[in-house]
Amino acid sequence: MSFLSMAWRYLRFRWLVSLLTISGVAVGVALVCAVLALRHESERALSRDAGLYDLVAGGKGSPLQLVLSSVYHIDSPTGNLPYADFERFQRDPRILWSAPVGLGDNYAGYRIVGTETQFFDLPDRQAKPFFQFAQGRRFEERFEVVLGSQVAQSTRLEIGDTFFGTHGLVEVPGAEVHRDFPYRVCGILAPTGTTQDRAIFGTLASVWEIHETEDRLHYAIQGSALLEGRQERETTAILIRLKTPGLRLWMADEIRKGTDGIATVPINEILRFQRGIIGPAQKALLTVASAVVGVACLTVLITLHQAAERRRRDIAILRSLGANRREVAVLVFTEGLLLTGAGILLGLLLGHGGLALGAGTFRETTGLLLYPWRMPTLELAALGAIGICGAIASLFPAISCYRRTPIDDLHLTE
Amino acid sequence: MIRLKEVSLRLGNAGRSSSVLFHLPSFEVEAGEAVALTGPSGCGKSTLLNLIAGLRRADQGQVEVAGSDLEKLNSAQLDRHRGMHCGMVFQTFHLLAPFTALENVVIGLRFGARTRSKLQEKATEVLDRVGLGNRIHARPHRLSVGERQRVAIARALVGDASILLADEPTGSLDPETGQEVFHLLREVAEEERRTLILVTHDPALATRMPRHFDCSGLVRSASTAARKENSPR
Repeated sequence: MSFLSMAWRYLRFRWLVSLLTISGVAVGVALVCAVLALRHESERALSRDAGLYDLVAGGKGSPLQLVLSSVYHIDSPTGNLPYADFERFQRDPRILWSAPVGLGDNYAGYRIVGTETQFFDLPDRQAKPFFQFAQGRRFEERFEVVLGSQVAQSTRLEIGDTFFGTHGLVEVPGAEVHRDFPYRVCGILAPTGTTQDRAIFGTLASVWEIHETEDRLHYAIQGSALLEGRQERETTAILIRLKTPGLRLWMADEIRKGTDGIATVPINEILRFQRGIIGPAQKALLTVASAVVGVACLTVLITLHQAAERRRRDIAILRSLGANRREVAVLVFTEGLLLTGAGILLGLLLGHGGLALGAGTFRETTGLLLYPWRMPTLELAALGAIGICGAIASLFPAISCYRRTPIDDLHLTE
Repeated sequence: MIRLKEVSLRLGNAGRSSSVLFHLPSFEVEAGEAVALTGPSGCGKSTLLNLIAGLRRADQGQVEVAGSDLEKLNSAQLDRHRGMHCGMVFQTFHLLAPFTALENVVIGLRFGARTRSKLQEKATEVLDRVGLGNRIHARPHRLSVGERQRVAIARALVGDASILLADEPTGSLDPETGQEVFHLLREVAEEERRTLILVTHDPALATRMPRHFDCSGLVRSASTAARKENSPR
């Protein structure tokens, strides 16, 4: 009979205490795993979206707000830029790809993004087309739309279906529905794992038409004269990919100086956001998780110490049978390792299982795709550290058993 | 085979007036012999047994067991020597509660056997030998006290130890079961030519052993011992 099977039998014998100790370790490990994996995955997912574009130009305001509204389809836009600026960017030889973004309406909470047909030409960083069509084609006519994969899945809209957009960027009860302007689905995108899956893409001209008509109506109701061409056409933001990404900061500065708006590097904003806002919150969570792990390791120590105390007689019996000090110490140490190991495994399962369960909701609410079973290097290092803590906690009762003299404990009864 | 000469050790807390001294001038047992250690409670019977097993070390004197001078062995060597040469049976059986009868015997082999092959077969064979062939998978709490002691005897026998050390093996058993266990020990020791040293309070049992050694007077208070040593002869 090996030490491992003997240790396992002792753990099974006092199963309730073992289970509670394993659960304690598991909760700590699950928290650590969940926080680290979530941090890694969210960073990766956020960077994947932000990394699609080198620059985002928009109306004056917060650069982070501009990125969140135009890249992640959350938050309100900062303001508008003249459409002429987009036309100018198109002629700029340093720009590989650019597309306007016009916001204003939503359908079932999903933003309707007005853009141009070249939006779908966006190359990924390997110069392959980023967008693939699962069904249908690009929009060609006004009020034709292409659905992001998640939109298609949750709204169950199919090619040829029509719907009405609702005024505003988020779904609000009683909001104005543009019943005179039905949209028709002409294409559905394949999943990209980015927030683009949560958007509906139509022509910028449609967005203009709906809102200019609405404006005209409002002016008519108010008795004002119709203002034909009262203002130049605008776009909420302009997404840009450069031929040389190294020019990002220089170009951003040039856009700031040459337009009424701002330009920013999305990846920089997101990293700043993560480090400044998400980072400290994650650190706080990680501190709590580490404390839980610390307490769990202490529990392993207390459990093993109590078990060793209760088993003084058994240890003495083993010594009387010929087991030496080292062997009984190894037995107790093995029990500690089994408790810690089981706790770590269960914690891994709970932590990543929890993420897997929450990944769907996370994707629905943020559009970010999580890979819940992926283990970042930091998590592996943390698990190693927890394992070492458990081993150290197991060492104390093992040393205590090593030091005992069997004759002192043989008189003890069960 | 077993030879103790001028062995003394201090029992209890050294330096305290209540500490007592165990002193044994001489004790010898030949291989295959069966000896009963008798005497009143606290006279040093179990101490003698523990000295032979190497569970206690003498402060002075020579303890030679199965060809080894125990005082010259380090802790690990002493443990291994005990496992290989001494099979121990205790009054309260000292079985390990989480394990079945078979596993308790296998654990005996795990630490004491000269070879570690066919542990299960060997343990089953010995359990069969002590009449527990049909109870090998029962845990100690499912066994009667007599059965528990038989498992303990099987555990002592399984490693082919040449010396069986039994500390009041019938002390917790009813007279009938006690007789059975005593017979079993005697029979096994005789058949397999193992040395049997049995501690007992029961004079009737002691008289049925070929030889008995009276331990009375082995333990004295330290002060009495000192006076005796200093007194003119």
